[in-house]
Amino acid sequence: MQLPDWWQTDPCQRFTLGPREIPGRIWTASGCFGYGLSGHDISSPEFASPYDGIGAVVTKTVTPQPRAGNPMPRLAELPCGALNSIGLQNVGIDHFVSEVLPELERLGVPTIVSLAATRPDEFGEMTRRLHAVAGRYDHWHGVELNLSCPNVAEGGHDFGRSAETVAACVAAARPHLPDRCLLAKLTPNVGEIAPLAHAAVAAGADAIAAINTVIGLEVDLASGQPLLPRRFGGYSGPAILPIALAKVDEIVCEVGAAVVGIGGIATSEDALKFFALGAVAVQVGTAQLRDPFATAEIARELSR
Amino acid sequence: MNGGQSGNRLRLTGHVLANTAISSGLIRLDLDLGRPVSFAPGQFAMLNLTGPDSLVFSRPFSILACEETVVSFLYRVVGRGTALLARQEPGCVVTFFGPLGGSFPPPPDDSPVVILAGGVGLPPLYAWWRRYRRGEDRAYFGGRDGADVPWSLLEEGWRVSVDRLTNLPPGAEAWEGLVVDYGRHELTTSDGPRLVLACGPAPLLRAAARWAAEGNWPCLVSVEERMGCGYGVCNGCVVPLLATGDATDAVLPYATCCEEGPVFAAERIDWDAFARTE
Ligand SMILES: Cc1cc2nc3c(=O)[nH]c(=O)nc-3n(C[C@H](O)[C@H](O)[C@H](O)COP(=O)(O)OP(=O)(O)OC[C@H]3O[C@@H](n4cnc5c(N)ncnc54)[C@H](O)[C@@H]3O)c2cc1C
Ligand SMILES: Cc1cc2nc3c(=O)[nH]c(=O)nc-3n(C[C@H](O)[C@H](O)[C@H](O)COP(=O)(O)O)c2cc1C
Ligand code: FES
Repeated sequence: MQLPDWWQTDPCQRFTLGPREIPGRIWTASGCFGYGLSGHDISSPEFASPYDGIGAVVTKTVTPQPRAGNPMPRLAELPCGALNSIGLQNVGIDHFVSEVLPELERLGVPTIVSLAATRPDEFGEMTRRLHAVAGRYDHWHGVELNLSCPNVAEGGHDFGRSAETVAACVAAARPHLPDRCLLAKLTPNVGEIAPLAHAAVAAGADAIAAINTVIGLEVDLASGQPLLPRRFGGYSGPAILPIALAKVDEIVCEVGAAVVGIGGIATSEDALKFFALGAVAVQVGTAQLRDPFATAEIARELSR
Repeated sequence: MNGGQSGNRLRLTGHVLANTAISSGLIRLDLDLGRPVSFAPGQFAMLNLTGPDSLVFSRPFSILACEETVVSFLYRVVGRGTALLARQEPGCVVTFFGPLGGSFPPPPDDSPVVILAGGVGLPPLYAWWRRYRRGEDRAYFGGRDGADVPWSLLEEGWRVSVDRLTNLPPGAEAWEGLVVDYGRHELTTSDGPRLVLACGPAPLLRAAARWAAEGNWPCLVSVEERMGCGYGVCNGCVVPLLATGDATDAVLPYATCCEEGPVFAAERIDWDAFARTE
């Protein structure tokens, strides 16, 4: 594509986010590139590796204990997007710290670790665990708190819908991240996102990651039942791009926070729209599932 | 247990050479990838279209054959993606990402192999049969009726069963009934050990697993699950496994179909949980 004149940034250059320099501005989104370990034997005529030009991989969300995840089916494709109900299947923080993080370092994958929990003190404990080994991990750049996952303790609604909860989780994690960046990933499933972003920044977040998936439901007409066993799923992909842009705009205009834009990015044009609104970086989710080079391709196309 | 991954996973742009029905329900797609690709029987590729027909998720299809730069698939139209694929004419672009996943292993030295393939479950076992078959091995294919059977692929010693003994082409022979029952009819579990390889719809896989278990024969099945990515990054394609006693299994009872599968030892699958997800 022809890059617009206002775009003079090289997205593959290092930039500063809070206390840390991050290798670039085009990242993969949590849950859409595994833990960041699955791409090393993949190539194409255009790219040596799916990691080419990627600023950071945000890992699959890790929780205090391993989680089995939800029964199948976990995905439903819709004409302009997809519903997912993976259920945060993950290996848990112990296994992540002992097995996955060393491997990411060995492979040199620029990493942001996504964390979720049901209580603020669990976020504190997980970041403390990471901090304890931080000296060994140059490629570990920060933490993204997934404050937007459905949670039983709050009646099945997204965990991070209250400003108090968001503030408490960020405040619990911040002291353990003196030299790594801290992002708060917010839910779009609220009337106003700015108060949540404000609470996160006031509690010490370096940036807001927005958005997570939009709550949605698909009906299987043959059975007359919701298609996904847990009824609701997270809607992602091209359909949510305008929703994401609106939420990012709200955060930038009303809070003035640094924002990492996520939602519906499939092309370099989509990514540029977030940058036009003031995002400092972007993440690619669903498009990375379809094509392991989706993020690399966007990074290349936006390079000056 | 399976044959492991062979070579690198490649994302390539393919051009349709042929996309034509070879039976009443099965279409063969030949794609020119512009460079040679190697695969092991049982591996698959994620295919997608470009432009306005591009699908949110690519679709998994087992590799039937690779000759030089041409890779072939066999598919049935079941929904939007396969309907769009069926409309692609020679010269159209189809994106290819593969080969992916594990494979069926080469035959063991000490026992004959029994192949059980149903419908679009044919490609992995067709590829296996062409590459590895020996005199003592047996291959069974099950189709809906005589018109549904891709006879041109089954010339080299395949035994064919059909649900309904109708529409048989002249000279063709078929057994009426389920493919596993055809195997049971010809072979008995007291004949000595065999290795069973199965690919097809879930009821076929379960029946194959049950038969093998009766004779204490090892059985490998290739499982189909819906997929998001095909390369192990979304956890959207999991298969429920039985706990092995390993502590971590109790918490993570799932394996990814795309990376840890699609070929699994039948005795590892939790068939009851698998049935609930169909
Ligand atoms: C490893 C693997 C290898 C495969 N190999 C072949 C092959 O060689 N030839 C072939 O024709 N098909 C194969 N399939 C199945 C094929 O991927 C699906 O038929 C295809 O994705 C359907 O796409 P669609 O858009 O036409 O249908 P959709 O509109 O997505 O779905 C149509 C119907 O099929 C069901 N469905 C879709 N995908 C699956 C699935 N993976 N498992 C069970 N039900 C499903 C849906 O629930 C729906 O009811 C394979 C699948 C896997 C996982
Ligand atoms: C299959 C799948 C799994 C996801 N898993 C997570 C997760 O574990 N943690 C998280 O914060 N977001 C998760 N997400 C949300 C994405 O990170 C992203 O916020 C969302 O999909 C919107 O971006 P997209 O439209 O580019 O996909 C997941 C999304 C998908 C499609
Ligand atoms: S399809 Fe994504 S992990 Fe298997």
